[in-house]
This record gives sequence, structure tokens and C-alpha cells, in this order.
Amino acid sequence: MAPKTAPSSGTSNSFQSLLKSYIETTSSRLKLIDVFLLFLMLSGIIQFAYCILVTNFPFNAFLAGFGSCVGQFVLTASLRSQVNPANRAEFKDVSPERAFADFALGSIVLHFFVYNFLG
Amino acid sequence: MNLVLRLSSALLAAAVVHAASLSIQNPQFKITAPDASQLRSESLSLAEKPEALSLGPSDVLKLTFQVVESEERKGVQPHQTFLRFYDEATGEEGVQPVRVTPGGKAKFELNMARPPTSLPPTTSDPLKVSLILGSSTHSPVQYELFDLYVPASQPPPAHPDEVAFAPRPEITHTFRPEQRIPAKAVSAFFALFVFWPWIVLLGFWFEIGPRVPHLFSPHILPFTASLAAFEILLFWYWVDLHLGQILLYGGILAVPTALAGKQALAKTSEWRLGRK
Repeated sequence: MAPKTAPSSGTSNSFQSLLKSYIETTSSRLKLIDVFLLFLMLSGIIQFAYCILVTNFPFNAFLAGFGSCVGQFVLTASLRSQVNPANRAEFKDVSPERAFADFALGSIVLHFFVYNFLG
Repeated sequence: MNLVLRLSSALLAAAVVHAASLSIQNPQFKITAPDASQLRSESLSLAEKPEALSLGPSDVLKLTFQVVESEERKGVQPHQTFLRFYDEATGEEGVQPVRVTPGGKAKFELNMARPPTSLPPTTSDPLKVSLILGSSTHSPVQYELFDLYVPASQPPPAHPDEVAFAPRPEITHTFRPEQRIPAKAVSAFFALFVFWPWIVLLGFWFEIGPRVPHLFSPHILPFTASLAAFEILLFWYWVDLHLGQILLYGGILAVPTALAGKQALAKTSEWRLGRK
């Protein structure tokens, strides 16, 4: 019994410490982005589950909704990686402002396509 | 020219007046078995058909007659003499020319061991056999001679293109079945369910409580406003606009947005570097 509980408590411990260090070390702006990413992921999963389990009937609407989630997730993830101070060395030439401008432009183009698909 | 025409018409009139009708004399048929024994031998009466003739797979039918002019009983050679075999049930027919001597005598032999190609494909139905005489100096004659039963042949081969000349089956369009729409309750449930990530999003954002001290500063506000205007424009496009219109309005709106964005981001960069 003891060896069985030890790993599970170990994993829960490590998970808690991971969460704790995340909460402590991540800046509030990055948390903001992370919450948005989480939101996009959940929305996408729900839409995909609906498509699989119930129906894909207005298929264009599914494509638009799911595509917007995925596309926005990609754009936001790249924004996050570019504005993260830890990646400063990686993106020397890309200022956070530039990254945000890219994000805004990419989002507008993405939304244009999404509204096209929405029908 | 006129003379020739008149002369020829006179000749023609004379010919018509002279035209005696053709007839046949002493029509007889004989059926012999392969071992040369006679199965049936009768004279034909032109007025009345005899009992139907039937031939075995290797019997021989012999038909003899003499073509004569009806009044003078003098043998003549018509220009055309044909035996026509006609199957009423299937509509198949075959025409066999018959050789006639100058004296008007004719002899026709049908050997079922080696049937002529002019014999139509046969079934168990009888063939109606008739004699057709044609002549330029006599009026044509056709005699119904007899009904003939012959062994059934192979069915006639279908022409490969025959299908194309017959009416084709009517074209009916098949459409994809109507899409199944899920129960209202299910889709309503999912429509609500898809909103719960918003609770997560807003809840966490409240908890994090981001500070946006410069949101309403005159440097930033035009940029966020124009971004919002873009989103409204896209929504309007979904509701009402055409592609050409959205491209035009988007192109117009892009200019102030780009300028405002440049200004706002330059200011932000200034603040960021100044704070560092």
C-alpha cells in the first residue's frame, strides 16, 4: 500500500510545486495570455467533441469555430513566446510591440477568414 | 421532246392495256426425309392455305411451280421472283430469290441441314411463306403459299449498339439525404456548454487583475478603438456586406489603424524602455 501511495503523492507533490512555481515566477501579463490560451483550448475541445459526438451538420460553422480557436491559439502562443522575457535572447530583433502588432494583424486576417466560413 | 413524251406515254398506255396478270401453275411441294423417303407431297391451292408444313432438322422441302400469264397459260419469266419467310410473332423476315427459267419453271429447295442465310431466326412459331412476283410488263402478284414450321434457331444475336437505339431508362436524380438535425435540447445544451470557458477566462482574469493604466491615454486609445472598429467591420461583413465592400472598407480602415498602431506601440516601447 505504501509504495503505491508514495508515487501518487509524489506526482501530486511535483504537480503542486510546478503550479506553485508557475504562479510565483510568471508575470501577470503572461498569466493573462495563458488564461486566454486555456480558454481557446477548452472552446476548441468542446466544439470538436460536439462535432464528433453529436453532428457536424453546419460543417462550415464548425470549421469556422474550430479554426478560429486553433488559429487564435497559434497566434497567441507565438505572441507569448515572443514577449516572454525568458526568450529575450531568442527574439533579439523582435520587440514586444512588434510582436503585438504582428498578433493584431494576424488576428484580423484570421477573423476575416473565419467570418467568411461562418456563412 | 414533246413527241417522244407523247409516244412513250402512248406505249405505256398500250402496255397497261396489254398487261395480263401473272399467275402460277402447278404449285407443288414435297418434303423428303434425309433417307430420301417422302414425308409429304401435295399440290398447293392458291385460294386456300394447306395444313401447315413442318420440317425436321434435316428434312428437305422442294417447291416447284410455273409462272404463267393468266389468260394464255403461257410460261413467262418474271423479272423478280422472291419467296418471303415472315415470322409474325417476332417480325423477323427473310427474302430468298428464286431462279425461274425463261419458260417460267421454277424450283426451290430448302434443305434444313444447310439452311440458307436468308432464312430468318426462328422460334417455335410458324413462318408465313409467300411468293412475290414482279415484272415490268405485268402487274405484281403476291401469293400466300403456306405456313412453315422449322426447327427453332439460335436467338438472333443482339447488335452491340442496339441498346443505344432503344429508349433508355428514365434518368432520375438522386439527392443527398437531408442532413440530420440533432434534437433541440442537445444543441441548446451544447450551445450553453460552449460558453463555460468564458467563465474560466473571466474568472482567472479577474483574479490576475491586469492593470491597464494607459488604456485611455490619447496615445493608445486610437489604436484599440481602430482594432475594435476592425472587429465590428468584420462582424458587419458577416451580417450584411459583400466581399468587395469589406475589402474597400478594410483597406480604408487599415491606414488609420496602421498609423495609430505605430504611434501607440512606439509610445509603449518608450514607456517600457524608460521604466527599465
